[in-house]
Amino acid sequence: MRKLLASLAALCLVAVLPGLSGTARAAEPAKKVIKIGVTQSVDSMNPFLAVRLVTGSIQRLIYGFLTVPDSKTLQPSPDLAESWTTSPDGLTWTFKIRAAKWSDGQPITADDAAWTFSKMMTDDGAKTGNGPAVENFQSVAANGQELTIKLKTPQASMLDNPVPIMPKHVWEKVKDISKFDGEVYPTVGSGPYIAVEHKKDQFVRLEANPDYWRGRPKIDELQMIFYDNPAASIVGLKKGDIDLIGRLNPPDFESLKGADNIVQWNTQGRRATYLQINHGATTSDNKPIGDGHPALKDPKVRTALHYAIDKQKLVDEVQGGLAKPADGSIIPPLYKDFFWEATGDQKIGFDLAKANKILDDAGYKKGPDGVRTMPDGSRKLQFRFSIHTDTPIEDKLAEYLTGWFKEIGITLTTKRLDSSKFTEETGTTALFDIAISGWSVNPDPEEVLGTHLCSRRPTASGQGGGTESFYCDPTYESLYQQQQKELDRTKRADIIKKMEERLYTDAPVITLYYPNDLEGYRGDRIASITPIPEDKGLLYGGSGYWPFYTVEARTTANDASEGGGSNGGLIAGVAAGVVVLGIGGFFLTRRRRGAADERE
Amino acid sequence: MTVPEAGAVEALEETPARHGLLRYAATKAGGALLSIAMVIVATFFLFRLLPGDPVRALAQGRNMTPEQLDLERARLGLDKPIPEQFLHFLGQTLRFDLGDSYEYKRPVVDLIGERIGSTLLLTGTALVLAVGLGLWQGARAGWKPGSRFDKISTAISLVLWSVPTFWLGLLLLMVFAAGIGPIPGIFPTRGSSSVDKPDGFAGVLDVGEHMVLPCLTLVAVVYAQYLLVMRSSVIDEVGQDYITTARAKGLRDDEIRRKHAVPNALLPTVTLVFMRIGFVVGGAVTVEAIFSWPGLGQLFYEAIRVPDFTLMQGTFLLITVSVILMNTLADVIYHVLDPRVRSA
Repeated sequence: MRKLLASLAALCLVAVLPGLSGTARAAEPAKKVIKIGVTQSVDSMNPFLAVRLVTGSIQRLIYGFLTVPDSKTLQPSPDLAESWTTSPDGLTWTFKIRAAKWSDGQPITADDAAWTFSKMMTDDGAKTGNGPAVENFQSVAANGQELTIKLKTPQASMLDNPVPIMPKHVWEKVKDISKFDGEVYPTVGSGPYIAVEHKKDQFVRLEANPDYWRGRPKIDELQMIFYDNPAASIVGLKKGDIDLIGRLNPPDFESLKGADNIVQWNTQGRRATYLQINHGATTSDNKPIGDGHPALKDPKVRTALHYAIDKQKLVDEVQGGLAKPADGSIIPPLYKDFFWEATGDQKIGFDLAKANKILDDAGYKKGPDGVRTMPDGSRKLQFRFSIHTDTPIEDKLAEYLTGWFKEIGITLTTKRLDSSKFTEETGTTALFDIAISGWSVNPDPEEVLGTHLCSRRPTASGQGGGTESFYCDPTYESLYQQQQKELDRTKRADIIKKMEERLYTDAPVITLYYPNDLEGYRGDRIASITPIPEDKGLLYGGSGYWPFYTVEARTTANDASEGGGSNGGLIAGVAAGVVVLGIGGFFLTRRRRGAADERE
Repeated sequence: MTVPEAGAVEALEETPARHGLLRYAATKAGGALLSIAMVIVATFFLFRLLPGDPVRALAQGRNMTPEQLDLERARLGLDKPIPEQFLHFLGQTLRFDLGDSYEYKRPVVDLIGERIGSTLLLTGTALVLAVGLGLWQGARAGWKPGSRFDKISTAISLVLWSVPTFWLGLLLLMVFAAGIGPIPGIFPTRGSSSVDKPDGFAGVLDVGEHMVLPCLTLVAVVYAQYLLVMRSSVIDEVGQDYITTARAKGLRDDEIRRKHAVPNALLPTVTLVFMRIGFVVGGAVTVEAIFSWPGLGQLFYEAIRVPDFTLMQGTFLLITVSVILMNTLADVIYHVLDPRVRSA
């Protein structure tokens, strides 16, 4: 017994004592550090392989790109490419590469960029991360600081190239790109930061690049700290373990209200939330696929559904008011240049009477049970609504939709699927009627527009794909090709708006709302941070490195004592208490035992 | 997977008891090998039954062209027919090569190697504490069933046992990491160490500090089973004749409990402890997820999310195999410890 107690006390001691280490940390010289909490872990530090959003954000900080979205207008602006010209046919692009240096002191030349692109064009392993970006490249050539890219067909989104330019002199030594983890530190890059340490699923540590062409960032170190559990990240922010966290959902955002030293950041987001509708899914060889309800093939039914949705109510009740109701399509209003909104007669508002009338006129008669049937009486209008398991927001959404659809004689049943099953049923096998969807849009919207192309439908064997609701529409298709060729930004934006209009009126997708960008940061740690775009944009998860390049830490005396140090005394106290209790308990058992011995 | 011939063992010409043990152990080992073989086969097909397209899921919402998806599929060998994939998997596994993770593009063996240490540290410590606390409290409670100590400790342990791990972990996190009202946040909110982890002893303390909350959660939810088994086992012993004899000899109550009852009552817990050691390797998925503890449980969870077949297979195999091995070991040790089983 005595031994057991003693060892227990010792274990307690070991467990609690560590708090004292906080005091040791406080002695270190004050460095300006900003800690960002992220809830996605880094998949690979090799930019040729990485696909995750978090990794993309980190690459933006470590490597230069040809262009970067302008911090005010989000239009492509110079990054590693100082300037550029396009041939009249739009097929030849010439970039002048900036005379800057890699973080190891070597000069940056067009050769680096040419090597990066050629590697992706010739090495299958290097295509994993950003393959589509070079798909349209015919050839790449370098001459000193001049980079020439010849395209197969004109491509307006060329200036939003998502490929980080890699240092040739470092990466050409890698034998097999597809097997290289990129874990060599410090990394050689040309962005504002240099990665100095990465602990898998724990953190990435970035140090300011003193030779960055725009000038050294204002802080010394940036840490991306991974939280497996979003709830813990909120706790971490409140406690001061991290200084900023982005991509919050409304309840977590609300929970930050009134917390000490926390600044809530609520602004327009880069996402759209919409319903995708199985309007008669087909494969890429135009064969029907899946088991979508035949009524949904009728645009009138889809429009009636659209009229039966009170988007403002959804925003208020489902998103806690932290979204904007959508009168437009899949590109959110954050992107002013490309945003399109329905007005006048075209605008579809909440109107149950009108929805009912459309269905009545189209011959979908209500039965005695109040549920409509197909004009030929073959089937009732009973749709499934596919949502993800364990997402309370989507459950709530389903409740509201079910209520409104019932008013127009349509039954909606909720079908909860885990995410991989969901992706399969709504993207490949088409075993759905209506499904929830959403997409983050880049400053150049081509990617999200592309998800509605005929070519994105899967093959009969379920290969390929990348479609959103299996859309294939000649009007939309030809507009897509037009905008690709249009190098005049204003004219291109007009074509893109026509595409959005088409999606709005034809309704293969019904956009519900644009969720706000919700973030939180420590006002006592971050002195200033510039969002992107600058007037009212995003901090984390936006485009480019702007926010984390401009971020400034507060230089106060508590800098050093922050994070553990301030608790040192308390922990020491607790530890001391436990020690006393442990020793006390030990002696008590000894005494009792002694007494028992005497008794014997 | 044949069971080694008993004849080979007989040749050793040992004492009958020893001979029986070796034979018993060999039979058990054979059984374990058979189970492992079955697990290997089942693992492959089990995970192929899971829905979802790993390649598309890997894109994590990013847009990929059909060509790119096909390329990725070919790279992962998913374009090959299932029987061929299976043979490939079998060949690899027999060479202790668990393949490359789809997601991390690195050997699964390496990924497991990086994580196994932190999992063993966390769950190992928790196991030692839970066993220690459970057995001690169980022995005391069982010695005087119905006493206040018995009632209170049984009630506490049962409540903790029935509490959802996730909820308890989150609660501890909110109270002791964030701090509520006058209680300031003491412990870290995530991970197994600080980003700026100091070297040497301070570094050890840093890890210890990070371990407190996840460890506490694990101990709280698992110690009840040790307590209960020990308690009922001690209660059984209390009624035995040898206890009465010991009492009649005038031995101190305390001594009878420690020297007579507890050693005998410990037997049934052996299996329980060893079974848990098997699970220790698998870690505690929930606890690791709450506290972002970079262990095997988290790795497995991540693999299922993708789904990353090779990583899933690898971690699953490791967990199952260690459970099987530990069960076998428990059987054999029980055999050694308990003569009644031996003679039976």
